[in-house]
Amino acid sequence: MADLVKKYCSYIKRTMEKGDSKKARNLILAGLKEEDIRIRFAADKRMPKAYRELSRIAINSTRKGMARPDSYAWTNIFAPVEILECFGLNCVSIECIASFLSGFFLEDYCIDYAENHGIAPTLCSYHKSFVGGVDAGIIPTPKFAVTTSMICDGNINTFHYLSRKHAIEHYIIDVPDEYSEGAVAYVVSQLEEMIGMLEELCGKKFDVCELRRILHRENQSKELLREFVRIQKDRCFPSTLTLNMYLLFATHLQIGSPEVLKFFQHLVEEAKGYPVYEGKKLFWVHLFPYYQETLQQYFNYGKQYCIQAGDMNLDYMEPLDINRPLEALAKKMLLNLYNGPFERKVEGISKLVDEIGSDAVINFCHWGCKQSSGGVMLLKEEMKKKDIPMLILDGDAMDRRNSHDGQIKTRLEAFLELLDAEGENV
Amino acid sequence: MIGFFCKYAPVEVFEAMGVEIGRIEPKVTNFNQADTLMHPNICSFVKAVLEDVMVQDYEGIVLTTCCDSVRRLYDVLKDRFPEKFIYLLDVPRKVTDFAVSLYGERLEQMVAAYEEYSGRTLDRAKLAEILKRKEEGEKLKTAPREKGTLRVGLMGARCSAEVKNLLEDHHVDVAFDLTCTGVRRHYRVNPQSLMPSYAEELLNQIPCMRMTKAVNRENYIEGFLDQIDGILYHTVKFCDNYSYEYTRLHQELDKPLLLVETDATMQCAGQIRTRVEAFLESLKMAEGDAENRGRKKRSEDGKMYVLGIDSGSTSTNAVIMNEKREMLAFAVVRTGAKSGDSANRILQEVLDKAGLQKEDLDLIVSTGYGRVSIPFADENVTEISCHGKGAHYFNPSVRTILDIGGQDSKAIQLNEKGEVTDFVMNDKCAAGTGRFLEMMARTLEIDIAELGPISLEWTEDIDISSMCSVFAESEVISLIAQNKEKCDIAHGIHKAIAGKACSLLKRVGLHETFMMTGGVAKNPGVVRAVEDVLHTKLYLCEEPEIVGATGAALFALETLEK
Repeated sequence: MADLVKKYCSYIKRTMEKGDSKKARNLILAGLKEEDIRIRFAADKRMPKAYRELSRIAINSTRKGMARPDSYAWTNIFAPVEILECFGLNCVSIECIASFLSGFFLEDYCIDYAENHGIAPTLCSYHKSFVGGVDAGIIPTPKFAVTTSMICDGNINTFHYLSRKHAIEHYIIDVPDEYSEGAVAYVVSQLEEMIGMLEELCGKKFDVCELRRILHRENQSKELLREFVRIQKDRCFPSTLTLNMYLLFATHLQIGSPEVLKFFQHLVEEAKGYPVYEGKKLFWVHLFPYYQETLQQYFNYGKQYCIQAGDMNLDYMEPLDINRPLEALAKKMLLNLYNGPFERKVEGISKLVDEIGSDAVINFCHWGCKQSSGGVMLLKEEMKKKDIPMLILDGDAMDRRNSHDGQIKTRLEAFLELLDAEGENV
Repeated sequence: MIGFFCKYAPVEVFEAMGVEIGRIEPKVTNFNQADTLMHPNICSFVKAVLEDVMVQDYEGIVLTTCCDSVRRLYDVLKDRFPEKFIYLLDVPRKVTDFAVSLYGERLEQMVAAYEEYSGRTLDRAKLAEILKRKEEGEKLKTAPREKGTLRVGLMGARCSAEVKNLLEDHHVDVAFDLTCTGVRRHYRVNPQSLMPSYAEELLNQIPCMRMTKAVNRENYIEGFLDQIDGILYHTVKFCDNYSYEYTRLHQELDKPLLLVETDATMQCAGQIRTRVEAFLESLKMAEGDAENRGRKKRSEDGKMYVLGIDSGSTSTNAVIMNEKREMLAFAVVRTGAKSGDSANRILQEVLDKAGLQKEDLDLIVSTGYGRVSIPFADENVTEISCHGKGAHYFNPSVRTILDIGGQDSKAIQLNEKGEVTDFVMNDKCAAGTGRFLEMMARTLEIDIAELGPISLEWTEDIDISSMCSVFAESEVISLIAQNKEKCDIAHGIHKAIAGKACSLLKRVGLHETFMMTGGVAKNPGVVRAVEDVLHTKLYLCEEPEIVGATGAALFALETLEK
């Protein structure tokens, strides 16, 4: 099976190299369709039912977006997708599309394409690969694009660059670093401006009641997510690195949709039925290099070691005020775990680790991500104070060329040996 | 002193409080502390600032939320120096009424925080007075352009003083400076609403790339396009924001554009010098400006002898030519720790070969990294221009040169006259250079001279995926552990070099005929791998290391003929 996938992917790459990007895109869409069918009828037996649902949400929202560009929007992971959902736009984040390109083994082609045109090699691989994918014609241009300025530097410039080059209607939401009433007003004024733009673009009036319904489902979903995290304290719901990334579709991109609410209901029901977990429980910080062999070997449906949760999926857990929906969305962005000083992230992670009783923390430093790598020593110091072992792994969450298995293997295995030895001493 | 570096920082507020505030100009040679306290993959300038703050005695540092690296710098400084005034000013990226009022608020908060920290108070009348004075001062600054001087625009990320000094040394007029240090303080503030209008003026500067209206930068430079000869685009390693603008300009702008990347360490000076000087040389050629180089002497019988000497990082090469452009002798020696010493050695060797005395030489032109350290050279020209001229001498149909030397690699584009029209050099990274091959040969435990020939005997096609020499080395070690054949690994290494070289070539454009020069051109494995990627033959001359020195000798003849 794996060989067949590789062959299919190298056929897509050859198609790209011949310059037939339209055919390559169709091959990708067909591949996604195939993957959806595989999940439905022939998924890995170890994959929980709720996660099959999640995989299908992730695969199909991307597939439908790319197949019907006139009703899809590019966003980043933190954009207020709830507003776009009111206009019937299917939100796909550029990071997720880039990840799927890597899933098809195309990341090297796309990244080289961007770098050869002048994009900095030190830029985040998601952004490089996305820029290359669009410029090379694999990724179709959308009806609308929106990004926020917060957390990640690449966003504004990637969106600007592509929108200008390919004439895409876009909006940039400037989210200040610091929370204050003035900051909320500033963000709300921008959301209003964006809504005006969308009304014109979609020929449809904005319906605030629809937004309230979406936020209501979002609140219910987040409540269920909190419960799921509590269950994870003692039980470990079988998961993989890829599924942890797919979870971003439920916690961010498709949040507020009826499908996602249903998924969370099923997730909690199913998780309750799992036995108490005896192995080591780890808390993951930042992105998951889903393809990395050694990490897959230890953590995909791991018996001895499991990843309980990752901070990316728990970056904002407060209920939203349905009576003041735009203010609520502004607050959600301003008070995101990653916005503001790194201290907030350190405190937030520290609290989560306590709540779910993690045995250790792994921080993955993704190539090009300055906001996360730059503060990693501060997090490590805090974990040291708490006596929680923490491992820093350097690599790339999607460009295979930037993660070296030998180096990751040695570091990880030494760390796990250390954890096991600690367990014995206790 | 309070340190700052962002052009959106409210410098005048501190001046009005009678506090010394200065731009941080870090002079560091390594990132030992920053790599530990932060992470190696953070913006080099930010790392340099961290190193600087660790050793200098600043009262405080005022930072802005200009980028992710700076935000993390704030977190680390705040943690390390709790007793100092470390402040992060949140600067909006838009200039709307809401944004202006928000920034005004932020400025007031900063003033209050500093007043509390220092016990001083801000005299607002004084602030208004300082702003007015600066406004008046700005009006006086209009220097007319000298005739015949080059005029360039300076763009990109924070530009160090070295680059600016270099331009000044070459009497280059800078038409505009859109880097972080190119601040022009135009303040027309309303004393009645001092802080909000000051905030507005600060935000209304020509935007940097973090601002949402960064496109205004392009509108701004459009007005200058007919007045400038080219644009010098400076980026900082790991500062990625500017590469988008560079990419766009590279695709759309019809003006010579030079990309220089530095990593904010002192060691960059030599690299910057070579690139900037080569760029200026090519601009002068385009202008047809024949600079009158000082002539030494000319024999009465019309006979001339010139010496071109190329002082590279691994080898020093010399060529002697006569007035008929006939090569009388050449020599290649390894460069020792001191480039001057190898120069003296080679001078004697090549003179012996030609049967000449030093006094017979009419002009000596040096090139290469060590060109300024050769005591007996009359003039120096960069190796970029020399490679162009040399390549044209050996084969006039050459349009694209790939030069891989010990320390760096370059791709050079030529026109039909052999003039350089564009060039790129690799960054400060050993991958894709002769050093990388030496390292790999050592790992494989074979002699560097054997690496090429054995790689041609490969049977299994291996990919070395890593582009970084450090990672590649561990990849090679694991291939050895897997018992792979040396010839197959060597072939994989050469393919990796060829891939890297090819992306360099693509940046100047692929135009036949291709020529490969430099020490690595002697490795048949690399040559074959590059040919495979390009699907065409490379032109090689008999001694690929003397192309630069040949160019230097030709420059010497041209000078004498003027």
